Amino acid sequence: MVLEIIVMVKQVPDSQEVVIDPVTMNLNRSLTRNVTNSADENALEAALRIKDKVGANVTVISMGPPQAETTMIECLARGADRAILASDRFFGGADTYPTGLTVAATISKIGKFDIIFAGEESSDSSTGHVGPGVAEFLNIDQITYASSVEYEDGYVTADRELEGGTETVRVPTPVLVTVLLNSNSPRMQTLRRKIDAVKKGMEVWDHDKIGLQPEWVGVRGSPTIVRKMRPIKERERAAKKIDIAGLGDLARELYEKKILKLEEE
Amino acid sequence: MAGIKMATPAAKPEEYKNVFVFLETREDRLIRPALEMIGVGKRIADKVGEKLYCLLLGGDIKNEAKEAVSYGCDIVLGAESPDLSVYRTLPYSKIISDFVKEEKPNIFLIPATRNGRDLASRIAVSCEAGVTADCTELDIEQDTRILSANRPTYGESMLAEILCKKHRPQMATARAGIFPVPDRVKSPKGEIRIKSVKVDKSLLKKEVLEFKKKNAVDLTAAKVVVSGGMGLGKADGFKLIEELASEIGGVVGSTRPAADMGWISRDHQVGQTGQTVRPRLYVAAGISGKIQHIMGMKNSETIIAINTDPNAEIIKYSDYVINADLYEAIPALVNSIREEKKKLAPAAGK
Repeated sequence: MVLEIIVMVKQVPDSQEVVIDPVTMNLNRSLTRNVTNSADENALEAALRIKDKVGANVTVISMGPPQAETTMIECLARGADRAILASDRFFGGADTYPTGLTVAATISKIGKFDIIFAGEESSDSSTGHVGPGVAEFLNIDQITYASSVEYEDGYVTADRELEGGTETVRVPTPVLVTVLLNSNSPRMQTLRRKIDAVKKGMEVWDHDKIGLQPEWVGVRGSPTIVRKMRPIKERERAAKKIDIAGLGDLARELYEKKILKLEEE
Repeated sequence: MAGIKMATPAAKPEEYKNVFVFLETREDRLIRPALEMIGVGKRIADKVGEKLYCLLLGGDIKNEAKEAVSYGCDIVLGAESPDLSVYRTLPYSKIISDFVKEEKPNIFLIPATRNGRDLASRIAVSCEAGVTADCTELDIEQDTRILSANRPTYGESMLAEILCKKHRPQMATARAGIFPVPDRVKSPKGEIRIKSVKVDKSLLKKEVLEFKKKNAVDLTAAKVVVSGGMGLGKADGFKLIEELASEIGGVVGSTRPAADMGWISRDHQVGQTGQTVRPRLYVAAGISGKIQHIMGMKNSETIIAINTDPNAEIIKYSDYVINADLYEAIPALVNSIREEKKKLAPAAGK
């Protein structure tokens, strides 16, 4: 039986050009370019490498507005077999709970799965909570923060990068794996595959198709709310310019102001 | 476990009392973020006159339970089993979720470490609770007992205040290195409740085959840190960084991309996915200043940037800017430091 792999992806604002509306303190989406979350590209690559080795059906899924189509097509062009976008006006404003719920319900609707991949976190929300939430909804084990992933005979073996070191774990499928940013080099899309991807296109599933009640999802299904946003004030720093000839003065200043201390060396 | 269902609001929020914190361990010893949770948890519990409960799981935790009490924990809820000596998602989330359902805490704080995040969201789903990730400021409103959970967002430029009004417990993960480690209390009076548990086999299918410890380079305790980034251009550049660091009694740091290139091991990494440092002096050489790096060093007392790009983002965060090629500037700086040291301590004869 062929291995079924699901990859969770998200379209995010390009973190290099985020524009905040000074009045609403919200993201100005019209001025911000959307891209595929980078860690999700690593998650897809991890899935495609297993597909290359043992054969697999790779389905990418996402929750988001219709413009996430560019991300879905991009994933198909890299080598995914099927793309499903959970998209519905009721899904908007979701915190991590209903997001996990919606993704998990979409996966349940697809049916059989052996491995679910996700990026370690999204660059715009940076919670890392949706992957484990999906695993809990589906009642399966998980491996988070994986830097390498191998599949063999019904088991996934992976290295997890933790603060104190690297942990190697082995888990029988089904299992959800979150993959570290930059942990592999995602393959390029070829023109040939890109044309096929556009022809194939994505499927769009709404709450009804997935089997979710409108009040379970989006802002209504979210336990948390954002009360307010405020800018983080950074300390003003002088950025005093020093040229090579001034390094002697800098060295003296560092010791005079006790920024450097002799006794430490 | 949870199944596919919506998050049901707590029927009676007033029945939820006290503050839970999860005490993360490594080899059955408390790690620093665990102590940070005791500090912030105690402050919040005291403000509304409630108790601080510390959750501690492991193979042999009696000593660490006493440690937790010595830092101000009121009640240690412990679960002990050889199967719990290493963190694994399923047994930990099951046992902790059971504690939550039994004791009904109003608030539950977990360190935003990698294992902490691995755990927090599973408990939130299992207990149908709201969780706010990676908080840097936490407070409680005295009259409503609602947690004010604040987290940086939009590339650390904004702080979002997030509330969970109807669901209980109100959960948050708290960024490591932000909340202070509390002082030990003078006459600790906490109560320790440890039970031996038998863990269901179905939860133990994950095998932990190996743990390779990093050579612990503790950047968080360093007074001086000298970091290199992609501007070094090659692995060899770190030799120059080391030279400057050793001249000024510092330790070597790096950006994530430089570590990704394999120029230096990951345990030197400063930033969002590395360590958060607050040294007296931070030198950023060949570092453009991507927000992920800035997050980990912006609270340093004094910051020197060495960069050829006069518009590099790092400059906004710098007290001194050496706008020059680092391969020229660092040897010159090392020389100047040597000269200065000679003047200050001629007897040392360095």
